Amino acid sequence: MPSDIDQPSVGILANPAAGRDIRRLVAQASVFPIAEKRNMITRLFSSLGKLGIKKVYMMPDGGGISDRIKHALKTPPQNGQIWPEIVFIDMPMEDRAEDTQNAVERMVAAGVGGIIVLGGDGTNRLVASKSEEIPITALSTGTNNVFPFMREATIAGLAAGLVATKQVPIFEGTARNKVLRIDINGIESDLALVDVCTSTALWVGSRALWRAEGLNQLFLSFAEADAIGLSSIGGLIRPVSRLQNMGLWLDLMDPETAPISVSTPLAPGLIVDIGIEKVHDMIPGEAVSLRTTQGVIALDGEREIEFSPEDSVAVRLEWDGPLTIDIPKVMAYAANNGLLTSTDQTRPIDGV
Amino acid sequence: MARNISYQQAIGEALAQEMERDQTVVIMGEDVAGGAGAPGEDDAWGGVLGVTKGLYGKFGDRVLDTPITESAFIGAAVGAATAGLRPVAELMFIDFMGVCFDQIFNQAAKFRYMFGGNAETPVVIRTMYGAGLRAAAQHSQCLYPVFTHIPGLKVVTPATPYDAKGLLIQAIRDNDPVIFCEHKSLYTLEGDVPEEAYTIPFGEANITREGDDVTIVTLGRMLHVAQEAADALSKDSINCEIVDLRTTSPIDTDTIIESVENTGRLVVLDESNPRCSIATDVSALVSQEAFDSLKAPIRMVTAPHVPVPFAENLEDLYIPDAEQVKQAVNMVMGK
Amino acid sequence: MQLSKDDLLKAYRMMKTIREFEERLHVEFATGEIPGFVHLYAGEEASGTGICMHLDERDKIASNHRGHGHSIAKGCDVDAMMAEIYGRGSGLCAGKGGSMHIADLSKGMMGANGIVGGGPPLICGAGLAAKQLGTKGVAVAFFGDGASNQGTTMESLNLASVWNLPCIFVVENNGYAEATSSNYSVSCDDAADRAGAFNMPGVVVDGHDFFAVYEAAGEAVKRARDGSGPTLIECKLNRYYGHFEGDAQTYRGKDEVKNLRATIDCIDNFRDRVTSAKLVEKEELDTIDAEVGKIIDDSVDKAKSAPVPAASELTTDVYVSY
Repeated sequence: MPSDIDQPSVGILANPAAGRDIRRLVAQASVFPIAEKRNMITRLFSSLGKLGIKKVYMMPDGGGISDRIKHALKTPPQNGQIWPEIVFIDMPMEDRAEDTQNAVERMVAAGVGGIIVLGGDGTNRLVASKSEEIPITALSTGTNNVFPFMREATIAGLAAGLVATKQVPIFEGTARNKVLRIDINGIESDLALVDVCTSTALWVGSRALWRAEGLNQLFLSFAEADAIGLSSIGGLIRPVSRLQNMGLWLDLMDPETAPISVSTPLAPGLIVDIGIEKVHDMIPGEAVSLRTTQGVIALDGEREIEFSPEDSVAVRLEWDGPLTIDIPKVMAYAANNGLLTSTDQTRPIDGV
Repeated sequence: MARNISYQQAIGEALAQEMERDQTVVIMGEDVAGGAGAPGEDDAWGGVLGVTKGLYGKFGDRVLDTPITESAFIGAAVGAATAGLRPVAELMFIDFMGVCFDQIFNQAAKFRYMFGGNAETPVVIRTMYGAGLRAAAQHSQCLYPVFTHIPGLKVVTPATPYDAKGLLIQAIRDNDPVIFCEHKSLYTLEGDVPEEAYTIPFGEANITREGDDVTIVTLGRMLHVAQEAADALSKDSINCEIVDLRTTSPIDTDTIIESVENTGRLVVLDESNPRCSIATDVSALVSQEAFDSLKAPIRMVTAPHVPVPFAENLEDLYIPDAEQVKQAVNMVMGK
Repeated sequence: MQLSKDDLLKAYRMMKTIREFEERLHVEFATGEIPGFVHLYAGEEASGTGICMHLDERDKIASNHRGHGHSIAKGCDVDAMMAEIYGRGSGLCAGKGGSMHIADLSKGMMGANGIVGGGPPLICGAGLAAKQLGTKGVAVAFFGDGASNQGTTMESLNLASVWNLPCIFVVENNGYAEATSSNYSVSCDDAADRAGAFNMPGVVVDGHDFFAVYEAAGEAVKRARDGSGPTLIECKLNRYYGHFEGDAQTYRGKDEVKNLRATIDCIDNFRDRVTSAKLVEKEELDTIDAEVGKIIDDSVDKAKSAPVPAASELTTDVYVSY
């Protein structure tokens, strides 16, 4: 059901499970309560409503966020705010990662002008796998966040709404992201937005990767020096920006005997030494094979895939990743074009 | 050597001596030291009525102030007792048993039996009971009958400083859960208490006064009311035998029966409410075991079946007094 | 997180023993021969096993009414357990406790418990004893989503935190407290959310995944032994059977259990992963299956043929003077 230009819509995807993993136990990971996510979402409603978004699509998660939003919808918004119509997508929920992907597919099919994601790298990764050309506004709520930004939700809502209603053209307000694609036995099977890391640990236990031992090979689509998590291993010796036409891949080893050892902020409050044997430029389009034959692959910091000697695995850096909204850029455009102002032409003021 | 100390001091002394002797004895309760986490004195209260004052200074982290969470800390005392400690937990007022009763009657009381004899729960729960301080309905009850009803619990009600020390030391050394009931109006009562440690066995009542005319079975603070009544009655040539139960579970049925077989008359004096009380318990026991010895029906003297009132005159009416005991004795004497 | 082959075999044997024990009880209970109530743990094995694999003889656990799994994981004798459930004199509690009060203090198993929320305070006590006696032992309370609401549980979380006790509180959230769903009765989505309110870390793990449970439990045990205090672990899992045997489970979805058994069974998953990673041969696991089957068969035979307790046992193990 494609959206009518008079019925612009946006999807909001909030992962109820973000920020409650083993990093709370082994590091000083943040405790991000569901009540705060609900508050962020209702702030988004006010912003989107102000800009003329008519519908917001949300995933009907099993408890938690959707229940709290439904509760909040029972009373009209305060202080003269207008909210869009909130539509909980009619879809089966299986309490698995696939729910997020399913929801995004349906949002895209419904013709949303943007998807706002409340979650960490893992959630954004799932959204990106199905978002196609719909711009993503990535708002941080989980631990170990590299991809999304820590932004106040009201402003993020304004930015997302300005793009979704085409008041800010897409090419002015968004950026294209690199992506790492994983091929298993020649078939593209998954993706990561920031990092792909192999470990010789033999199973996917608690999903979050937080131990240095066993880390074997690291692929990075970008590596910022001030990031947390695996990408800081590259970021602290050879920073690569989100816009540079390259990535990195590194061979890792025991820090005691490595030529270089990096003090890596691997998780909130957890700084460990990681040994690097060699750093390589990663050229977009070129497949790099794994150097170890058995273990697990972590995508954006979470152990996702187990592989064994029968599998041949390769990683490619590509430029066909998702579009993300650049909030400062959108708001600057809005200011320069008076998009959030209304002027009485008979009484112009100086300096504007 | 004769040495007069108070009921309160006797209890404190028993605790100190046992903690000295046995490193596994620990104390926990609300404000047993008092002042935990606060900037003032570390031992600010030593218990709400000062019974445990000084222990924190001597024994440090074996004296534990607790949050106001009876289920958790009474349960912790019970659990710790099965794991190698000998805790003495304080349930500040017996009236608070409602918020931790499960850990006492379903857990502590039953482990030995339910686990086929393969468990010991050497926990003591000290608790204050009784009326007289104008503390009103929720801080003045005599709830020992409720604990007495539960198989697996031992229930102790000392009436004098001497008994308090000896029975508490016995309780700490006992391997079963003991509910140690301290009458709050007796704390300042002084009496002769030996300096050394000593024990008084459970299930042994104390005949505090001998007499051939009537047996008065009583416990706790009412012992002193019975003695006052007996003094007055002796002027009318009625000689009372007073049996202080000391422990309601185990109860010394032999001494009670023996006394009634001798006197043929029984008055039971119990400060608790009349229904399902120690008074009804002892009366039924004697009716069954010594019916033929009875020359008159048994009389029970108890508080009325009401919550404890606040107004001073009403509370004084609530608590059984010597006059009521005298009347009951006169009735069984046929006077 | 390195598990040796021996560890993997031990874990498999433990889970398989629990599963076979419970499945057999399901069958035997239906014949009417077993007195009273039983509450079966089938489906939840990875939780008890993943945690108890880290414990030794210094450590204590307290369980709930669904306690057979925890008892087996802590090393209680299977024959004695079966005899106890049948109410025989040779039972672990001399026939005087039954399924809901199975205990073996010599193995650090402080008892299954018929009172919801009865365990956590006791575990605070065991933790306190370990601290005072310097044993470096830890104390683990197993309880469900229903008990996570109980006042005793909240108080225990608070006490363990303020006294910095070496305790681990494990919420086995199977989504149902008796016949009421936890969606309805628990005011937060994850019991682990409440941990922060008591100033301790709380983590959610997939209770069907032995490795996830083992990993989180390892960290919690380390924390406790190091003197860093208590942890709350919430294992999200499912029970295959009803609250008690005889519960028709009409409150559950149609085919809910059937689908669970087919898709997320913790023992099948474990088997698949260790065999496909070539850490263990299929035949070794099959051998364990056969051995376990025989042990359970024998335990039932022994229990059925054992005598009930002597009548005189009625009044023993309690002081009675009247």
